[in-house]
Amino acid sequence: MSRQTVRSGDPRKVSAELFTLTYGALVSQLVKDYENVDEVNKQLDKLGYNMGIRLIEDFLARSNVGRCHDLRETADVIAKVGFKMFLGIVPTVSNWSPSGDEFSLLLDNNPLTDFVELPEGQSNLEYSSILCGVLRGALEMVQMEVNVWFVQDQLKGDNTTEIRVKFIRRLEDAVPVGED
Amino acid sequence: MTVFNLYIFDRNGTCLYYVEWNRKKHSGIASQEEEFKLMYGMIFSIKSFVNRISPSDLKDGFSSFKTSRYKCNFYETPSGLKFILNTDLNVGNIRDVLHQLYSNIYVEYVVKNPLCELGQPIKSDLFKTKLDEYVRNLPIFATKTN
Amino acid sequence: MADEVLFEFFHMEIVGQFLQSARKDEKESAFTKLEFLGYRVGQRLVERFTKEVPRFKDELDTMKFICKDLWTSCYKKQIDNLRTNHQGVYVLQDNKFRLLTQISEGKQYMEYAPQFLAFPCGLIRGALSNLGIASNVTAEVSAMPACKFQIQIQRL
Repeated sequence: MSRQTVRSGDPRKVSAELFTLTYGALVSQLVKDYENVDEVNKQLDKLGYNMGIRLIEDFLARSNVGRCHDLRETADVIAKVGFKMFLGIVPTVSNWSPSGDEFSLLLDNNPLTDFVELPEGQSNLEYSSILCGVLRGALEMVQMEVNVWFVQDQLKGDNTTEIRVKFIRRLEDAVPVGED
Repeated sequence: MTVFNLYIFDRNGTCLYYVEWNRKKHSGIASQEEEFKLMYGMIFSIKSFVNRISPSDLKDGFSSFKTSRYKCNFYETPSGLKFILNTDLNVGNIRDVLHQLYSNIYVEYVVKNPLCELGQPIKSDLFKTKLDEYVRNLPIFATKTN
Repeated sequence: MADEVLFEFFHMEIVGQFLQSARKDEKESAFTKLEFLGYRVGQRLVERFTKEVPRFKDELDTMKFICKDLWTSCYKKQIDNLRTNHQGVYVLQDNKFRLLTQISEGKQYMEYAPQFLAFPCGLIRGALSNLGIASNVTAEVSAMPACKFQIQIQRL
């Protein structure tokens, strides 16, 4: 294999497409396997959750960010460091609830949905629900219980893609036996 | 300088991994299980007490204590993993060393190994080997045999 | 663009999801599914990859493309060794296969190795099929993280 072959085609771009294509193939496989769309959404969310609880460690290790002081800081880190690192995009943080426990991530373009068109009759499919699962899993590992869901999705003809994050409660470290 | 032993706990207090190098004397505590429990309990208490009495907001919180014989070095990740490395007294601040251990060994060989279940004691031989190699090659490990 | 570890974590969970949800008697079909997932991805990847690429000279040239370009973009390194018996069998050896490097250097977890190779087998088969070569692809591991992929060309 010493002969040098020069070909066009950018390997880096292909590597990014590998994830998007595999995700697409998985979604179609699940749609075929389950028939029930809600179950597909659930499976994608679960897969995301399992990814999230591992991904967060890789994220913390490489970014070396410390513990966040409040939800605003957390939201900023998710958008500017997390999304940037893994998906190469920086969503806008907005639509804070008055009590400051809920915010939205607005995505101009969602790399997961490159080359995707939602098939007819699949309007209940939350194509990117893996992202909700990843966020839920990752945040749980840094002691935050949250709910995450899609409010708008460009795939369904909305103007933007909006992910809503609601803070539920702080999870504490296990108290050692015999203490309180 | 020398390194005695290492404990890794998760935030549920499970001891994920324990290993020793130059520990000459054992605690005399009935079981290893019990020693893990006491260690986790002590760290938990020191951590919360140190935070409580702090005159201003702490950045890294509790990082080490010394006795006349050893130094207990502590590093915690935002995900609540706790790395406790006992060394001799000549060892300085090793926060970076423990962060490296987390990012280059734990994340690489536990988090990225699908066969290692998170929150369970680590059984991977590759992790054991890489960890041992990493610690033995640290400048603070240098034990003189002569 | 998407970070490479994202794909690794994703692949890990797909394998987990397919195999864990499978009962004992369904294990075989879980492998088939993983392989087929890889097949579809391989097909589409090659489409995008070779848009402006001149056609390959011959079978061997196509194999070299798999070993170099495809492998590098998917698994960050080239295949280390390519052999053929010139009768339609090719053996691709990767001495440090990306998806195995964090699992073991030796025999531990050996029984689990095949589950991480089903998708890559499919990936090769899919890529080849879109380049006009029908094949069967199987994988073999004797000590991680090394592995061999054997391609058997299907002559019509």
